[in-house]
Amino acid sequence: MLRNKKIAAVLALVLMFALVVTGCGGQKPAEQGENAVPAKEEIVVAQGADAKSLDPHATNDQPSSRVMKQIYNTLVTANEDMEIVPGLAEKWEQKDEKTWEFDIRKGVKFHNGEELKASDVKFTLERMLKSDKVAHIVEAIESVEAPEDYKVVIKLKEPFGPILSHLSHTAASILNEKAVTEAGDNYGQNPVGTGPFKFSNWQAGDKIELVANEEYFEGAPAIKKVTFRNITEGTNRTIGLETGEVDIAYDIEPIDKDKVRNNEKLTLIEEPSLSLAYIGFNVNKEPFNKKEVRQAINYAINRDDIITAVLNGAGEKAGAPIGPKVFGHNPNIKPYEYNVEKAKELMKQAGLEGGFKTTLWTNDNPVRVQIAQIIQAQLKEIGIDVAIETLEWGSYLDRTARGEHDMFILGWVTVTGDADYGMYALFHSSAKGGAGNRTFYENPQVDELLEKGRTSVDTSEREKAYFEVQKIVVEEAPAANLYYQTQNVGMQKGIKGFRLHPAGHHRLFGVSY
Amino acid sequence: MIKMTETQASVPTTPKKRSIWLEVFRRMSKNKMAMFGLAIIIILVLTAVFADVIAPYEEVAIKQNLAQRLQGPSAKHWLGTDEFGRDIFARLVHGARVSLKVGIVAVGISILIGGTLGAVAGYYGGKIDNVIMRAMDIFLAIPSILLAIAIVSALGPSLFNLMLAIGISSVPSYARIVRASVLSLRDQEFIEAARAIGASDFRIVTKHIVPNALAPVIVQGTLGVAGAILSTAGLSFIGLGIQPPAPEWGSMLSGGRAYLRYAWHVTTFPGLLIMITILALNLLGDGLRDALDPKLKQ
Repeated sequence: MLRNKKIAAVLALVLMFALVVTGCGGQKPAEQGENAVPAKEEIVVAQGADAKSLDPHATNDQPSSRVMKQIYNTLVTANEDMEIVPGLAEKWEQKDEKTWEFDIRKGVKFHNGEELKASDVKFTLERMLKSDKVAHIVEAIESVEAPEDYKVVIKLKEPFGPILSHLSHTAASILNEKAVTEAGDNYGQNPVGTGPFKFSNWQAGDKIELVANEEYFEGAPAIKKVTFRNITEGTNRTIGLETGEVDIAYDIEPIDKDKVRNNEKLTLIEEPSLSLAYIGFNVNKEPFNKKEVRQAINYAINRDDIITAVLNGAGEKAGAPIGPKVFGHNPNIKPYEYNVEKAKELMKQAGLEGGFKTTLWTNDNPVRVQIAQIIQAQLKEIGIDVAIETLEWGSYLDRTARGEHDMFILGWVTVTGDADYGMYALFHSSAKGGAGNRTFYENPQVDELLEKGRTSVDTSEREKAYFEVQKIVVEEAPAANLYYQTQNVGMQKGIKGFRLHPAGHHRLFGVSY
Repeated sequence: MIKMTETQASVPTTPKKRSIWLEVFRRMSKNKMAMFGLAIIIILVLTAVFADVIAPYEEVAIKQNLAQRLQGPSAKHWLGTDEFGRDIFARLVHGARVSLKVGIVAVGISILIGGTLGAVAGYYGGKIDNVIMRAMDIFLAIPSILLAIAIVSALGPSLFNLMLAIGISSVPSYARIVRASVLSLRDQEFIEAARAIGASDFRIVTKHIVPNALAPVIVQGTLGVAGAILSTAGLSFIGLGIQPPAPEWGSMLSGGRAYLRYAWHVTTFPGLLIMITILALNLLGDGLRDALDPKLKQ
């Protein structure tokens, strides 16, 4: 009996403490926000998914890239304006059509203390070429040589215009040979780079902690500790910002944007990104083999409605498959106008006045599911009876790669900011299926132009080829391009120096609080 | 002897049958909670039947009006509009159709399969019993919602697959109930008598055992409909249930959850309706159990 009472007393105490502690937890950050102490050295960044791996060759997904960007450097970097600037390579020179020479920065130290040598670059790119996840990014490379400690020579199979953009991809981050060999299969959880932040700790599914690299070659970062938190629900990221437990939140949900914007302690920054959302048609299947049907659907979709209702305005109507921030974008191509009469007429021309039944696939992304429902209602106006099927992400990718679909919704991020990355995979006949061309579109003229754009090194010639490709693929319409997504980040007012990167992996070096 | 058994055997079947159910109803009518549940269920059934009269499907329930999205309750839209500007009241009315259909058909499937297996196991006993019931035990070890998710993912989401998945996942509980009743009935005199006059196993089971084992199945079935409606809502919530634009309570709930902080009505009303329906079915089930239990009466 006495014992029970004791236990009860202890429990009561614990409960009291719990209440006091949680009560404090709710209050404290708000107070700090008001005082706005400038010398805060730790920041918490929230994003919608955990990284898969921090080995750049093991994955090619945005959440991982966003963390890797802080740990690693690439030979050359695309800055926030998508200009190529020096990274680990101080300067570079094109020796001939197929040979590039890079001078490696001297005295750069990896986080494990090793000095960066040309041999590390050779090792990295050769390892990358063997990766089934990211080899396609550097497939143009024939060989990599390290004739001197600080000189790398890259030989290409064929002339390849966008090579520098591709080398700026986070997947081409430079690794340390010794660290990779020592860690073996565990390298993805023990990354070693040259970047402004060192990896410190990873609680899978919850958070990744990074600490400042005081010896970083561009100088020590102002922030001493960065925590990447995985907060899946968009609403919860916003709430995190409001309560102050999160300092920077990526991808604020469209509906929450005004709430962040109107909060005097928070700022919302918004800019166009490099991503496109589109509806793809399976051009091998009836009736999508008819150009008129594909165009009719393009005319029947009211893109403004989608952008207002689903994105709360956070998008720009898309005509061409690559957006205005991407090199090679053709500004003369206008989005298909919303014109039901014209759509009906085209259906008539295709001999399908009475409409037809079909399916539209989407994965369980809430934005895509909503778009699917709006398109379902809009296509009904021209007699197309659409059934929506929601698939799990893995099987969605597999089955669209095999061509089992009629119509599908997907996005494409032109990470390198170059038309080659944005269109070769989507429209070249060699990329049919899993590589990106899920519409199974084939046009010899487009193939030829895409190859020309890829192999030519003359900028204006490349641009001309890509302008032409966009004209053809918009007119032939293997896809209905919907919008270029605007990206946003919400953060505490006190955060300074943060800039959005069009590719979505923002640099935290240079940020202060 | 023969004469006696014949009269005895026919007692529980034809002439008195109607009066038994009347008696049950009379007993249940004294239970206010149960009658409340019954009233709500009747209203829901009527709503489902006359859904098209109350709110036309094409013109109201699935008609999008993006200019009027997420509006609060008003005279025009009694319960407000959802994220596509559709009338929530109309969608709830049509959702009742889906929910009740899935609930009843799914329970029908599980009673049919579970009842048959349970009757066979209980009647024959021995090895057959062992094999069937161990298989059921294995089934029971898998959480039923997980099983339903697996079945729907394998077959693809559609109304029929949903009913099948929910039906199959609750087969074992019916098998157990029927088996237990059959075991207690199997050795009673009137069965022995039927066997003595040469009735076939099939006739004994269908004519004599099943009608007498019905009471607990009805109770379980009523509660089962509630469970099935909840499972449907759950599966639709995660996108495996009814596919858009068809209205379903669970998917309405899931569609509105992103707007919880700005438009409370989008999730609140479907949630309330699910709660009331489940409550009503459970009250009715409890009432039926009490009314059907002869021991409680005395």
